[in-house]
Amino acid sequence: MAEMILNAAMVLIAFAILFGVIRLIKGDTDTDRIIAVDLLTIVSMSVIVLAAHLADRFIYVDVAIVYGLLSFLGVLAVARYLERGL
Amino acid sequence: MIEWMTLLLCAGILVSAVLAVTLERPVSAVIAAGLTSLFASVTYVFLAAPDVAMTEASIGSGLATVIFLYAINRTRKQDVEPDE
Repeated sequence: MAEMILNAAMVLIAFAILFGVIRLIKGDTDTDRIIAVDLLTIVSMSVIVLAAHLADRFIYVDVAIVYGLLSFLGVLAVARYLERGL
Repeated sequence: MIEWMTLLLCAGILVSAVLAVTLERPVSAVIAAGLTSLFASVTYVFLAAPDVAMTEASIGSGLATVIFLYAINRTRKQDVEPDE
């Protein structure tokens, strides 16, 4: 049961990465692209946590914590740039 | 299963690096370059190097994007001012 859920999570994460990259390639405006990058950051956090479970090394969760702390920084910088200059 | 995920992430590195080179607007290219280092750091986690991944995420994806945008903003001001 747990194995099945992990496999389903990995397939869903793969589709999320695929659609995020497609949005980044097509992206008409800069706003679409930065939101795609934000989505991919959050998906990357789930990838890292899944890798921590699969490799049985829970030190990897720290990397996901650093991601969560830093993910807002790039989005915030780009948003402020688009609004009125950094 | 984990090999397929690593291959997908490497394909993501390639696609975003090509985008960073070919996109015409500077802000879009900076965003794509940040995504390149994001995918690279996830790949480092898969290759069992969490400290390298942490450094790459904080410097490559966080600090470099902010510094690039700051530089673009400064040069945009210099470009605009003589015209007005």
